[in-house]
Amino acid sequence: MIHVSHLTKRYAGRTAVDSISFDVGRGEIVGFLGPNGAGKSTTLRILTCFLSATEGSATVAGHDIFKESIQVRRKVGYMPENVPLYTDMRVNEYLRFRAQIKGLGWRESRRAVDEAMDICALTEVSKKLIGTLSKGYRQRVGLADALVNKPDLLILDEPTNGLDPNQIRQVRELIRQLGERHTILISTHILHEVEMTCGRVIIIDRGRIRASDTPQNLVRRLRSAGTVNLEVQADPDLVVAEVAKLPGVVSAKHTDTRQEWASIEIRTETNLDVREELFDLIVKKGWPLRELSRHQASLEDAFVDITHQTANEDSPS
Amino acid sequence: MRSFFILFRKELRSFFLSPLAFVLMALFVFLNGWLFSSLVQAMRAAVSSRSLIYNLFDSGWFWMGYFILFPLITMRLFAEEKKLGTLEGLLTAPVRTAEVVLAKYFATVVLYAVLLLPIFGFFALFQKVTGTGAAFHSGAFWGSALALLLIGLFNIAIGVFASAVTSNQLIAAMITFVGVMLHYFLGFLHQFLTTPGSMWTSTLTYFSSIEHMHAFADGLIDTRPIVYYLSLAALLLALTHHVLEYRKWRA
Repeated sequence: MIHVSHLTKRYAGRTAVDSISFDVGRGEIVGFLGPNGAGKSTTLRILTCFLSATEGSATVAGHDIFKESIQVRRKVGYMPENVPLYTDMRVNEYLRFRAQIKGLGWRESRRAVDEAMDICALTEVSKKLIGTLSKGYRQRVGLADALVNKPDLLILDEPTNGLDPNQIRQVRELIRQLGERHTILISTHILHEVEMTCGRVIIIDRGRIRASDTPQNLVRRLRSAGTVNLEVQADPDLVVAEVAKLPGVVSAKHTDTRQEWASIEIRTETNLDVREELFDLIVKKGWPLRELSRHQASLEDAFVDITHQTANEDSPS
Repeated sequence: MRSFFILFRKELRSFFLSPLAFVLMALFVFLNGWLFSSLVQAMRAAVSSRSLIYNLFDSGWFWMGYFILFPLITMRLFAEEKKLGTLEGLLTAPVRTAEVVLAKYFATVVLYAVLLLPIFGFFALFQKVTGTGAAFHSGAFWGSALALLLIGLFNIAIGVFASAVTSNQLIAAMITFVGVMLHYFLGFLHQFLTTPGSMWTSTLTYFSSIEHMHAFADGLIDTRPIVYYLSLAALLLALTHHVLEYRKWRA
């Protein structure tokens, strides 16, 4: 559905997107993840033919984005960041206009608008001026606009930006439903969203792709997948020394020195649970125990880890 | 072509659904109505060798109100879309940039024509009420209408261009106003700079809107101003198209 190869966008003295390549297959829901200013929006704007790339090439739905821009735009439903809308139009009027400039006929567009408003739960506000709607409704108007002509591909730039938790949940649910019929590329910096909805994640930072995998694999690959926290009442140095002897333990560190209790952070080999062995050790030594927990890594850890790593690599030291 | 009409309709709609068109129309009718009636009184008091139409369009009062029109009707066209960000949605839809530019341009031309209509209504009404055929002849009527249309086509193109170069409506309005006034005053330059009859005089006269108006209001249709205004308008619209496309490549 999308094929990007060595796409580069340079602004004066700054490379926003640096030779990125990736593919998105038909029917996939792909999350485009990165910190603010990583080049997500720029990439999406290039794919939707709003900007041109400095170098590289890309095809969307089989059409070259530079040479066949009109065909590409016909197949893509795009929701720009912050959802710009004509505030002086009514919801149905606006969607009707959008459906028509996307090539739907007069009668066709009426049906398509009704359907899109139904999917996005907009029917009750269809006669309201867009300017009077709340942020959540506007977001849904933008979404309805993106899918009104049933495009093959939906490109959504931060679709849940600025919504409250309930609305985020609604939009996320909507996206998941849409994923049954469309290929979707979502950009976001909200990790939870990606974990819940996307089959694959592309992490981009400083204009480069740092990782591209399923959320589960990303988490599994992570160092912190094998972290155990331990809090006992004993001499910290002794505990560290004893724990380090256990098989599978990579390192043990005394973290919080202010407390009377020794709190130890233990790194193990990936995907190895050493809690049983630890428990045996504690019982044998007779240390009073307050905490023994294995840190369950989330995508957030993966994200922080990956983007943090690159930040260290890139900064001159 | 289909997209053009959809966009054209949308632009017209947003003109006539907002109070702007009606406020302008009311002000313009009031201003010109006042001018018209005082002109009729003046012509009754003193004999004039010129027609009523010629005298109205020769008056500085008319042009003053007229030039304020252009910044007001063109400033929001692209500047507002840029500020709101809706330009992104518009240009990522399957429409050509040229269609967007032309739709906005011609919708504004229609608004302009509607705003000027009352003036010609005054003349028609005057003739009907007084029954005097002597006030003007039909050549003056249609000639001056054509001249105003041509000058308008050019000035609206200035406004469209100015609106495309900035996202600030006030700046767009100022650029338009200055552009429109500069061109108008260019036509008066020869009175100050050159001796009558020199080559400069005839060259500068060629740019002079007021001279074009004089000729057309006498019922003389000159093809040179027609070509002049249409080609300038086309040039400005082409530049507007390039300004909008430039966003893609700017570094």
